[in-house]
Amino acid sequence: MFEHGELVRNLTVKEFKLRYRNSALGFLWSLLNPLAMMVILTVVFSTLLRAGIEKFPVFLLTALLTWRFFSISTSMALWSIIGNSPLVTKVYFSRWLLVLSSNLANLIGSTLEFIALFPLLIFLGMKLSFSTILLPAILAVEFLLITGVSLPLAALNVYYRDISQIWDLALQAGFFLCPIIYDVKLIPEPYLFPYSLNPMTRIIQSVRKILYYNTLPTLTDFAVPLVGGLLLILAGYAVFHRLEPRFAEEL
Amino acid sequence: MDTAVKAENLWKKFRIPHERRTTILENLAGLLQLLGGKTYTYEEFWALKSVSFHLGRGESLGVIGENGSGKSTLLKIIANILRPDKGSVTVHGRTAPILELGVGFHPDLTVKENILVYGSIMGLRNSEVKKRMDSILQFSGLERFRDAKLKNLSSGMQMRLGFSVAVEADPDIFLIDEALAVGDMEFQQKCIERFRQFKSEKKTIILVSHALNLVKEFCEKTLYLSKGEPVSLGETGAVIDEYVKRTQTPMMGGSTG
Repeated sequence: MFEHGELVRNLTVKEFKLRYRNSALGFLWSLLNPLAMMVILTVVFSTLLRAGIEKFPVFLLTALLTWRFFSISTSMALWSIIGNSPLVTKVYFSRWLLVLSSNLANLIGSTLEFIALFPLLIFLGMKLSFSTILLPAILAVEFLLITGVSLPLAALNVYYRDISQIWDLALQAGFFLCPIIYDVKLIPEPYLFPYSLNPMTRIIQSVRKILYYNTLPTLTDFAVPLVGGLLLILAGYAVFHRLEPRFAEEL
Repeated sequence: MDTAVKAENLWKKFRIPHERRTTILENLAGLLQLLGGKTYTYEEFWALKSVSFHLGRGESLGVIGENGSGKSTLLKIIANILRPDKGSVTVHGRTAPILELGVGFHPDLTVKENILVYGSIMGLRNSEVKKRMDSILQFSGLERFRDAKLKNLSSGMQMRLGFSVAVEADPDIFLIDEALAVGDMEFQQKCIERFRQFKSEKKTIILVSHALNLVKEFCEKTLYLSKGEPVSLGETGAVIDEYVKRTQTPMMGGSTG
């Protein structure tokens, strides 16, 4: 992979450029979209439903950005092989680099979104705790998880286009199965254990602990997604590697 | 002599579905039909059957045959884009595939951006690509269009660009599939000049072409494929003669006996 460093960099830059080319607002959309979601959900949950969560916009936005990183990365990586079919059918190189660079482009995007979040946090009267320095580590773990999920999805989507539909549904379910619009405290005791096995739950909780509760994530909050991510990468790469030889034929 | 490319008993099979199936449901339906006793709903089609050859460094191979005889499939297997079902290919050195109509550029990227991405796929460092940028643009004759998106170029221009990047990537083995067919006379002439230079630099060329005069000029050896099977392999002049003879006399069957 390291010998392909420049190739990965060029592919990532290409992805990033293509994403915002032909769009008037460009990268601004990445900021406008979560802000609009925040406004909508805040109106619904704190004004209409009166969920009674203090500083609901911050509570929501911290989780929303973390979830967006996962959902957008995986649903774009899903198309990374198919979308690059001119390359895949004409020249050989390690195909998984396409998945990697799609995810890296989203890592850059999400990092910028998080950076833009800070002035807003301060504006909304939040104080930043020292634990904020852990944020990059958590996003790195999330990146592992994303790559582990993206590899098999991208490979399978070459053979069965249903995968993208199924994944859309899975992401919708995931949005409600993760503590984004509600707090983990709402989960009844008997379900808490399986609920907390979801690596995305842990990641979202960690980000929220850091930026909203101003506390430290626990070691388990780190370990669950880290182990999950590494296992997924191993399994995902195995699937990818198996399906890779016939990509050019299927495209 | 050092080996550049060695192909041993290559077989390649494609599936031609009778009805297009891409979704799981359609496949499930097909599976049910299959379980219900219906026979296969795709045909197997052997694009290559038992193809072998050996090419030393600095040697060049022409590949000729009718449309659909497996020439491009063979080239794609050598380029590692397709995998053979049986047999193996050993390649010593870096290959540059120049396949029909372009080399895999992205239509929404500019000429320069495409050169950078493609160059790094070919194994060049960014600094090397930048150094060669001018000569790539000059060879392709597209200096004026350096910042134009690729989709705004004509197919001939795209082909010229693909050829130029591949040439400047300085590979050991060129895999050329009818790449010259789209270029204009002037560009074809330039390419032929380059080929001569490669020959003198002891580079290996595998040339798939219907332009028999090109094959004659550049390739010592030629492989004649028909319906995926090697008809003959050997000294170019003799193989081309056989090809011409075979295609000019339509098969008569046994009636004139």
